[in-house]
Amino acid sequence: MATMLRRVGGLRRQPWALSFVAVVIIWVAIRVVSGKGTIETMEAALSVAPFLIIVGTGQLFIITLGNGNIDLSIPNGMAVGAFVGVSVMSGSGNILLGFAAAIGCGLAISLVNLFNILVLGIPPIVATLATGLLAATASFVEASRFSGAVPGSLRAFVSADIGGVSWLAIICIVFSIGAGIVLVKTRYGRSVQAIGQSGAAASLADVATTWVIARAYLASGVLAAIGGVLLGAYTGVALGMGDAYLLTSIIIVVLGGSLIAGGRSNIPGIWGGALFLSLLVTLLNVLQLSAAYQDIAEGAVIIAVLAIGGMTKAR
Amino acid sequence: MAEATSPMEVAGAIGEHSVEDVRPVGRWRSRLRAGLPGVAFVLILGACFALEPTALSYRGVGLLLSPAVPLIFAAMSVSFVILVGDIDLGLGYAVGLSNVIIASWLVSSPWLAVAGCVGLVVAYGLIGALVHVRRVPAIVATLGASFVWLGLGLTILPIPGGSAPSWLTQFFSWQPPLIPLPIVLAAVVALIGYFLCYRWPFGVVLRGAGGSPDAARLAGWSMLRIRVVAYLLAGAFGVLAGLALTGITASGDVTASANFTLLAIASVILGGAEFAGGVAAPVGTVLGAMTISLTGTVLGFLNVSSDFDTGAQGLILIIVLGGRVFMRRRR
Repeated sequence: MATMLRRVGGLRRQPWALSFVAVVIIWVAIRVVSGKGTIETMEAALSVAPFLIIVGTGQLFIITLGNGNIDLSIPNGMAVGAFVGVSVMSGSGNILLGFAAAIGCGLAISLVNLFNILVLGIPPIVATLATGLLAATASFVEASRFSGAVPGSLRAFVSADIGGVSWLAIICIVFSIGAGIVLVKTRYGRSVQAIGQSGAAASLADVATTWVIARAYLASGVLAAIGGVLLGAYTGVALGMGDAYLLTSIIIVVLGGSLIAGGRSNIPGIWGGALFLSLLVTLLNVLQLSAAYQDIAEGAVIIAVLAIGGMTKAR
Repeated sequence: MAEATSPMEVAGAIGEHSVEDVRPVGRWRSRLRAGLPGVAFVLILGACFALEPTALSYRGVGLLLSPAVPLIFAAMSVSFVILVGDIDLGLGYAVGLSNVIIASWLVSSPWLAVAGCVGLVVAYGLIGALVHVRRVPAIVATLGASFVWLGLGLTILPIPGGSAPSWLTQFFSWQPPLIPLPIVLAAVVALIGYFLCYRWPFGVVLRGAGGSPDAARLAGWSMLRIRVVAYLLAGAFGVLAGLALTGITASGDVTASANFTLLAIASVILGGAEFAGGVAAPVGTVLGAMTISLTGTVLGFLNVSSDFDTGAQGLILIIVLGGRVFMRRRR
């Protein structure tokens, strides 16, 4: 009994606990408001969360690096990845070749980010913003000559489910477990956290800082491109399709209890954050609010949740 | 420094110190950097005249620079947020919201419009307080707020429309003797910015706090008050940007100014301010805004598709900021 109590007390101290408390609250709220089946609501949330998890994981690794590291090129990276990836897929009939092309785009965008940050020494927030603007132009150009269609098999895959649970969500859970192991157990993940806690100390401790930073940005670019292709297969490829992910990819990291200043992050939290945001959209839909009121409510709730809980633990 | 007795003088001295820290060592480099926004502006204006010689007239210059006026106010707005070391990623829709408030209400119920604008300025102050008290990162708070601005704007005016009072449109089509109106307005905004940053006693505190928050706190200043003042100024200039937009376009559209968020930041950086805060460059910011606004025009003159406007702005941002950091490193 005593150990169990201690365990519950320990759970409360887990930084990601807040996001899951928020998930439960909003889950119950949907049940009360709509009377809809609780299971179905969560299944629906699980089918849209994977896209956020994929790009959010890249963002998490970059934010963990601290020192102002953040990736604002993700939304346009998703759009470019989707346009190029789907074009190649429908042109060649080969899905894997399409993913390879999208990954190439993601790597190219990351390289521009890294050139800006590591070679030119531009603060990451402006560096990735500028890269995002370049990528936006690339997506405009791609869109103007885009005539591809998402292959049926890929479209079927992203919305396939087993017993109501999205296959993509299951794959993403496995992916998250892998990412969690990389972050906590491997030399690389520990290097990322060490740089976030103190870059100077990390490089004195023989961490190859530049290479660690470079790999995080490369990973984020690749994940954004893959996420873009999958999202394109789920909702259709369109200009500005990734725009919503600028805010949400950062929010789920912060909401999940990771420090925005870097150095300490956790993977379970982004699931809490992603499910919370997905359920929030469901709740606003259930309340039959207009798109405008949904925007207001979403912005206000995000700010409120962060103001109430997230930041107090940071100190 | 030893004689400095009042907290303000201490903060001022700290502000000066941080300026020395970030400037390149060589005197000529520091001059070059201060003059860079001016050089860039003259170059791009020269390119406009070379491509379109008819633009070289009172009317031509007015037409070229008229679209820059709202961006000048927006750039001044975000410059105060950057000055205290934060960033505002919600400015575009905030300008859009004030545009919509003014275009929908100023004619029919002026007091409602005034109340709406004051409300927006107060909301900005509250965001500043929130960022400080609850330690919500500015980037997340302002991005979250941008959803609220967009939603409010769409609620007030779901489809673009509305109207501007005749005195407002008349003011923005006014033709002062000799100097075109956009240049007069640019000079006035630059002067106000200069006064706020360099002549207003609290402006010194703002700069000092941006350079070193700890020093400002030790000198007895409340960082909360400093942040709120900076955000209130940002809100006020954001509303003025919306007012200018309404006066020029004579209509309201909450999404019309969405790209101001990034363009305003680019203007401030191009203008020579430090991204990390503490260094204000009001004159450079105004020149930066006019330069950024003219890049689209030049590309248009060159018959380049407007698809490339965003990319060109990104490239300018990289070249200017990269070049400056590179120059500093190579002393």
